[in-house]
Amino acid sequence: MNQGQPEACQTEERSTAGEERSDRELVAEILSKDRKATAEFVARYADHVYAYVRRRLIPRADLVEDLVQEVFLAAWESLDKFRGDSSLRNWLLGIARHKVEDHYRKRLRELQPAEDEESLESEPVSPHNLEQALADRQAGELTREVLSILPETYSVVLLWRYWENRSLRDIAVQTGRTEKAIERLLARARQQFKKRWHEQQSSK
Amino acid sequence: MSNNLPSESDHRLFELLARETADAGAERAPSPLKARLLTALIRKQQESGRLRTLAETRGAGHPLCIFEDLWERVAQAEAAQSFNCCSLCHARVLAQHLERPRIYWGHCPYVAFAKK
Repeated sequence: MNQGQPEACQTEERSTAGEERSDRELVAEILSKDRKATAEFVARYADHVYAYVRRRLIPRADLVEDLVQEVFLAAWESLDKFRGDSSLRNWLLGIARHKVEDHYRKRLRELQPAEDEESLESEPVSPHNLEQALADRQAGELTREVLSILPETYSVVLLWRYWENRSLRDIAVQTGRTEKAIERLLARARQQFKKRWHEQQSSK
Repeated sequence: MSNNLPSESDHRLFELLARETADAGAERAPSPLKARLLTALIRKQQESGRLRTLAETRGAGHPLCIFEDLWERVAQAEAAQSFNCCSLCHARVLAQHLERPRIYWGHCPYVAFAKK
């Protein structure tokens, strides 16, 4: 997975369809404060940014819309720096990623894991079980369910480590904790995740 | 090696889960959110100077809605031509609060968000 950009950005996608303005043309019009071009900007990219932010902010659905708005306003502030080296969509998703990571950093600094959950033993979830769930197309839904019911510290650290593919070191540096502390937090998060996964799977 | 380090199967498990759910489904942003984004962006644009006039906008190939068209004919001063007339329009208000507002004006961006 690419560490530099959200995985949603990895497929280079240019806006070259027939009558559609190119990214550069659109940016030039937005910078000249054309209200219709600005509307086109929102129409073209709001779904992409929203989908990305929503998946990364599990379980804080209540914050999604505010964060999407922050992304678009930040984009406007630095739109004059857009050079067209990547597509406008990828550029926007890069901003979204920074905003999401700001959120993770803030939450991990604020939240402490519940002590009483630290020593829980979990039921094993084997890769075989997972492969079965993947084959049945249940894994995505189940994962979102589990992430949404986990204590927020755990869902944040799992999303940051695995969904954003950040190293322990990166997370430690950004949160002002030691790598060991992040390792311990991740271990508890994985344990909790697997326990809840098993419970959710059994209840279906 | 620390007990906290994940086993190979743990790594595989979480990598697979991340891959499975990373791009799951195309989620549409709610149309009221898009409407609020547009309003916020235009407000931000106005903070650093005037918007493009309606004539310039039309000249750039963007059709105007009926209200903008009327505004362009009636309001002659340049400041009025650059004014964000959507701020006075009921379509914007409805679109910011309803997923499917009952507005049928052609070329209104707020209507387009709900239709798409």
